[in-house]
Amino acid sequence: MSYVSWKTEGIILRVRNLGEADRLVTLYTKEKGKLNASARGARRIRNRLLSPSQVFTHGRYMIFPGKGLHNLSQADIINSNQILRDDLEKFAYASYVTELLDAFTPEEDPAQDVFHLLAGTLSLGAEGRFSTAVRFFEIRLMKELGYEPELYQCLNCRETLVEKIFFSEQGGAVCSNCRNSFPGSILLTNGTWELMKKLLEWNFSRIGILHPAENNIEEMKKLMRKYLDYRLEYPLKSLGFLETLQAIPPQNDKG
Amino acid sequence: MSRYPKPMARLIEELTRLPGIGPKTAQRLAFFLINQSSTDVQSLAESMLEAKQRTHYCSRCFHFTEDDTCIICRDSRRNENFICVVEEPRDVIAMERTKSFNGVYHVLHGSISPLEGVGPDQLRIKELIARIRPEVEEVVLATDPNVEGEATAMYLARVLKPIGVKVTRMAHGMPVGSDLEYVDEVTLSKALEGRREL
Repeated sequence: MSYVSWKTEGIILRVRNLGEADRLVTLYTKEKGKLNASARGARRIRNRLLSPSQVFTHGRYMIFPGKGLHNLSQADIINSNQILRDDLEKFAYASYVTELLDAFTPEEDPAQDVFHLLAGTLSLGAEGRFSTAVRFFEIRLMKELGYEPELYQCLNCRETLVEKIFFSEQGGAVCSNCRNSFPGSILLTNGTWELMKKLLEWNFSRIGILHPAENNIEEMKKLMRKYLDYRLEYPLKSLGFLETLQAIPPQNDKG
Repeated sequence: MSRYPKPMARLIEELTRLPGIGPKTAQRLAFFLINQSSTDVQSLAESMLEAKQRTHYCSRCFHFTEDDTCIICRDSRRNENFICVVEEPRDVIAMERTKSFNGVYHVLHGSISPLEGVGPDQLRIKELIARIRPEVEEVVLATDPNVEGEATAMYLARVLKPIGVKVTRMAHGMPVGSDLEYVDEVTLSKALEGRREL
């Protein structure tokens, strides 16, 4: 193992307190994928890592490898993503996105596309488009990690799908003849099917101009929830907070 | 095999459980305690036990107290219609050190953290809402200026404002005595946002 420090661009996924004044940060980096590092003294008011070690911060970090845990030695903020922390809905959605990524990715398994996906999703969310951004992130993350849901051919008989399509948490779309082999499969409306295909295939710049119907977003949300739960096998903690928020009327959080 | 006699090894192990105490410090503390007189050690042990057994939460503000209500809630000179909301009892102590707050407190015992699975239901928020009577003039949110503290403050503002009470947030700014060039951009932009006329 090399003990030479390196610089990398990364986004902070999670922050936990460590000892008296340190932080343990989980960051997704462009070059090395997800990694954990300690930010020494980062909770002290005059420490230079105080602000760059906040969750959702996109920065350039200098990492000094350690035997067990890496150390964060210096940091420059590229985008503080403060807007995601200044609004309760954005904060809740961004927490869900980072938790999802943390749950699905192993440590130090580099994937630049996943890094760009995360950065793009957070920036779309910062513009107030989290309902689309989150659905985009879910389906594209699955694609990048090799869990892409099948949308074009029946999972069972491999027939090309045309109409009356059902969606199974076990891997994607099934035709009406095969749906009985997939208990719990749900009818997929044409609008949601089209939306899922667009979110799966379109490049990021086109997603920005996509304005899907609310009912398609809602339907996709339910399907993808079942799909992700099936893959993950445990519920994500941030989902509870998102549901709590939906029960109270939104307002301008900055007062 | 341990290099220490059994009772001393146990003491070191127990001390290591304390926050900020590593094995080396625990050993030093254990040596110090062994060299003290039995009376001193007994007094320390008794004070720890007494503090644990007689300290509980104030029924009104959830700060530490040995009676039903804490010394601040019982003080008739304090303005009980001005409530300062903090995360932990130690924040009450920090606020009291300023000697510039004459209201009362409400301790939440934590902050909202979606990634750790801590939601509003795990905090003393229902009890805070129950304290908001029509006479309450202002609730100042003094949760930590970090991500969880800000989220908690935003959530509280959402549930308190519809009741009709004035809700304020502690100001964000540069640390007193610091140099502007070393202040990070987030703090600096917050300080600029919250500037006031002289």
